Amino acid sequence: MDAEVSNPYQTLGVSATASADEIKTAYRRLARKLHPDLNPGDKAAEERFKNVANAYRLLSDPEQRRRFDAGEIDESGNERPQQRYYREYSDHGEAGRYGNDAGYADFMDGDDPFAELLRRSARARGNRAGQDLHYRLVITLAEAIAGGSKRLTLPDGSVIDVSIPARVVDGQVIRLKGKGLPGAGEGAAGNALIELEVAPDARFRHEGDNLIVDVPVSLTEAVLGARIRVPTATGEAMVTVPAAASSGTTLRLKGQGAPRQGGGRGDQLVKLKIVLPREPDPELHDFVAQWQAGKDFNPRQEGA
Amino acid sequence: MRIIELTTFLRESRIQQHTLERWIEQRWIIPEDAERRAGLSDINAARACFIRDLQDDMGVNEEGVEIVLHLLDQLHGMRSAMQTLRAELDRTADAKSADAD
Repeated sequence: MDAEVSNPYQTLGVSATASADEIKTAYRRLARKLHPDLNPGDKAAEERFKNVANAYRLLSDPEQRRRFDAGEIDESGNERPQQRYYREYSDHGEAGRYGNDAGYADFMDGDDPFAELLRRSARARGNRAGQDLHYRLVITLAEAIAGGSKRLTLPDGSVIDVSIPARVVDGQVIRLKGKGLPGAGEGAAGNALIELEVAPDARFRHEGDNLIVDVPVSLTEAVLGARIRVPTATGEAMVTVPAAASSGTTLRLKGQGAPRQGGGRGDQLVKLKIVLPREPDPELHDFVAQWQAGKDFNPRQEGA
Repeated sequence: MRIIELTTFLRESRIQQHTLERWIEQRWIIPEDAERRAGLSDINAARACFIRDLQDDMGVNEEGVEIVLHLLDQLHGMRSAMQTLRAELDRTADAKSADAD
């Protein structure tokens, strides 16, 4: 035992003539700093606190203090049986009912591995968070683009309204906080994790983020050009068919395709397809029959 | 964890029964069977000792104890989370060194 510990006055940092109040004040100040339960990770705190507590027990009892001052006893002869501190239980996960994740609950919100580890840690304790529940929700392409609200019926018959943000992609997961299983103790409820499945829109061919649609145009529209209405994933759009367009001419509607992973949208491609009237038209027939330039043009010839 | 008799609990934690009842009421102490207020454990006794130290030795008043316990429980929650993270990092490091071998 070192010299500092053997003198209770030095241990408490008071003079040998200190009053009872001064001794109490000094002890309280040290106890607030050194109590092992206020220093869960400091292994040396227990020994330091024990010295301070023993010094105080001796000096706070007038008879014991008198005997120490007279040299009849020393500080070490007056120890209480060792106390087991709360921190010992807490550090071995035995005090789960008290443990609390309020200090880092926000770190558990993400979908990253760090958040998952924290959630697992919180679950492992007595006050564990509830389990997450996984669902799958099929939405239309239009809903994936524009967002909206969709009702989901859970296995227990309850319903939740899922708010779908704009521009979601197939496989994206929406997390509804607290809609999973209830937590144990004071643990937070788990989350509902809803994986979105974007159903393909049958009106379009899906090539990556691009949507391709064949649009029929009349011969007149193809020859003279026109403004025509075409379907889009979310409604309709007006596009300009250039004069002298052919079947296969492709018009691009930028940013009108399917939502793209990481933001933005692909394009919609409008492929023109020239369609003649169902009933043969004599006037058209006669015109083409005597249209020399038309007869001279061979689209299968190289360079046509 | 060990369930202990009420008299043992009071002797170990050096508090009176009415004090224990008030602390249970305030949820500073939560018996193992919280609903029936039964089942006092050595963990509860250690926690009661700490609360007693806060009040008697450190002069912390009731409002102060409430705050200290709330923050301390968060601190232990964080320590537990850090232990999980450390175990996971150790596991990852072990797996990597096994791969290197």
